[in-house]
Amino acid sequence: MIFSKSPKVVLESDEPELASVTSQEMPDEVETVVGPSVNVEGDFASEGNIVVKGSVAGSVYTSKHLSVEIGARIVANVRAGSSTIAGEVKGNIKVKETLELTSTAKVLGDIEAKILTVEPGALIFGKISMPGIDVGEKPGRSGRSSKRAEEIAVIIED
Amino acid sequence: MYVYLYDNFLRQQKYLSAIRSMEVKLTDYGIAGKILRLHNYIDAKPIIDDEIKRGAKTIVIVGNDSTLGQVLSRSATCDCIFGFLPIGPNNTIAEVLGIPVGPEACDVLSRRRREKLDVGWVNSRYFVSQLHVLPGKLEVVYDERFKVTANDKMEVVVCNLQPFYWKRDKHDSEQYVVHPQDGKLEAFLRPLTKKGWFGYKYEEPSIFPFEEMMITSREPFTVEADGKITKEVKVKIKLAHNKIDMIVGRDRKF
Repeated sequence: MIFSKSPKVVLESDEPELASVTSQEMPDEVETVVGPSVNVEGDFASEGNIVVKGSVAGSVYTSKHLSVEIGARIVANVRAGSSTIAGEVKGNIKVKETLELTSTAKVLGDIEAKILTVEPGALIFGKISMPGIDVGEKPGRSGRSSKRAEEIAVIIED
Repeated sequence: MYVYLYDNFLRQQKYLSAIRSMEVKLTDYGIAGKILRLHNYIDAKPIIDDEIKRGAKTIVIVGNDSTLGQVLSRSATCDCIFGFLPIGPNNTIAEVLGIPVGPEACDVLSRRRREKLDVGWVNSRYFVSQLHVLPGKLEVVYDERFKVTANDKMEVVVCNLQPFYWKRDKHDSEQYVVHPQDGKLEAFLRPLTKKGWFGYKYEEPSIFPFEEMMITSREPFTVEADGKITKEVKVKIKLAHNKIDMIVGRDRKF
């Protein structure tokens, strides 16, 4: 009796666990995954979500969500619909909607995002510009960007 | 007119009862037809072409994933409708197509719900289920835009219809499943890293949906597509849209 019961219990408990792990690991909306110890070089573009766990060099583009995991390294200009960064990015980041920098994030480059969330501990070296402030000039002009940043600072102080 | 292509393994005693009940159901539905038996070394294309000349409109493959792959890899260009009656183990594609395994598949066949399926194209031949490149020092170029490499060896699996099952290592009790999406081929890259003196350990896989990709290597690498094994140094893989007219079930996954 003991031997006949125990495997049944194991089987019942195993199946839902496996299903939950599978769905956690590979959600349906994830379309492109750059795994750890994989190197990508070139114009890396995708129409779906991108998850980066390895290294990418060149340029990254997605119209949807970009997630840069802890330990991942991107040496490229990044354009995305929305983004969560927990790894290292060397290059300019342009995000249409929300950009989230976690405490482990390290960004060396200019950031342009509509909504920016920065957790304590995140490291940023570069200019931050956000559409929504009307200062009379169009953003993105390289020669005038420092002047514009100064103007924004003056407005904020006022 | 229906023509049924039976795989060779269906001669085994254990499948006889399933075959019998399937044939009875097909007769009841009025869709019974000529039965041809495939052997391991038979190319299905000339057989199907002959049957189409004799008036066959629907070719029904009876067997498992490898039967479907073996037939469709050669005859994807044939001008006919394909059906599938899955019997026995190793039937993962049937689930994707929404066809139940066993005699219940006859119900799906009789309803004739048709869909155009995409197939993969590799070095001048088609593959339906899966293409597997065994571990080697590979370089993968996607859509002529970006290049993917690994520090050491790498294994590539390209899925069209068949889901990709993987484990972290040999002793891992948990199996992970990723279902391919329609409209694109899905490439799963698994780099291997050295573990100890002789062993290798599989890393977490990378997933890249693509329409065209090229795998190259300095040394020849082994490619397995729908059960056929070849050695290559350069492989070009493409997606051929809407190549196969296939009868599918309502519960299909695309």
